[in-house]
Amino acid sequence: MKSTKLNKDQIQKIILSSLGFIALIYCYFTFFLGPLDRSRGTMAQQIADLQGKSASSRTELKKTSNLERQAKDATTHYDALKATTAEGAPIAWFPPKMRKFFAAQEIDKASARLESSSSFKQPELSDWVKDTWVIDLPLADYDALGKAIAQLENTEPLLAVQKLVIHAVPEEAQFQQVTLTAQTTLFAP
Amino acid sequence: MALQLNLLHEQISEERQRRRDPLKLGIIALCAFGAILFLYYGWKVYQTLQIKSQLRAAQSEWAKVEPKVTAAQKRADELHKIIDGTKVLDGLIESRFYWAPLLATLSHCVAPNIQLISFDGTFTDGNKPIALLVEGIAAAREPRGAAEEFRQLLMEQLAKNYSDVKVDFRNLEDLDTVVKLAGVPTASARFVLNVSFSPTPPAPSAATPAASATPAPEIKK
Repeated sequence: MKSTKLNKDQIQKIILSSLGFIALIYCYFTFFLGPLDRSRGTMAQQIADLQGKSASSRTELKKTSNLERQAKDATTHYDALKATTAEGAPIAWFPPKMRKFFAAQEIDKASARLESSSSFKQPELSDWVKDTWVIDLPLADYDALGKAIAQLENTEPLLAVQKLVIHAVPEEAQFQQVTLTAQTTLFAP
Repeated sequence: MALQLNLLHEQISEERQRRRDPLKLGIIALCAFGAILFLYYGWKVYQTLQIKSQLRAAQSEWAKVEPKVTAAQKRADELHKIIDGTKVLDGLIESRFYWAPLLATLSHCVAPNIQLISFDGTFTDGNKPIALLVEGIAAAREPRGAAEEFRQLLMEQLAKNYSDVKVDFRNLEDLDTVVKLAGVPTASARFVLNVSFSPTPPAPSAATPAASATPAPEIKK
């Protein structure tokens, strides 16, 4: 009969082998397979993110392209409104412009002065300011005044007359003294 | 039965001991298992390299797309700002009050025996009514009646284009001075009218309002 009983030396060797096996497994998973799996997981996540971003960016590009087409009219209109503001400080160009405008309407000696300037509350108009002007017309014929105001309202869409004061001139019966308070919306980026 | 003697008993036993040496068997098992793990590791490395190449491809694609997307987002923001800004500006333009038609209406109401000496109109915004102060002189045999006719005509004419029209006398007084109307000395009265109306057009049914029942104020002497 064969003896299967292990001796002390064999038991020690078995324990040593087991320890070696455990160490091998630990090293394998901790220093080899673990980092590899982690890096693979990270890369897979990055790929998923990039693919998601690429897909959403393609949608974004399409949306922008559609928006560009839809906003064509608005852009043209906006540019036209921007073009009503001349270069430079309004105080430098608005009074001469009004003087010239009323002179063309046969109303001489027009003068304009800036009363106040403020920004809009609406966030959409952060690039625009509202200026309030007082325009004095010392001698204006009523018919000419009506036509001039009509012309002004039609040609200056961003100008709104807020107050209109007309007084008869005692010495010149056919003329009136007029004061217009007008608010302009000017582009000021 | 022949007797069999094993004279190499010790050598065979040693050989047997050597064969089933646990350390040796363990090392063999460990090597075999290590080889399997190594192969498995190699397979994983191969997979990782594949994923790495996929990542590189995705990164290069994104690098191409990203500037376009950034520019597109910037442009979309600009366009939104333009669209919203245009809407608000259009709102401002549409909510303006046009004074020229009002002046035309006023001039159509002024008869030859009426002279306006002052007009003061204020418009603050589209939601609030427009307030006017009209001062003038009426000349007629009954100057107060002429002033009242002017008031009613003005109200009627304004009601055609505007809503909530109110035209009231603030002041009406006979003047001692006599004015010449077509060469005829005529009595005159000075009047001040308070006018208010909403710039919105009238409702179709309310286009022709009844004359105001506001009585003329007492004569001031």
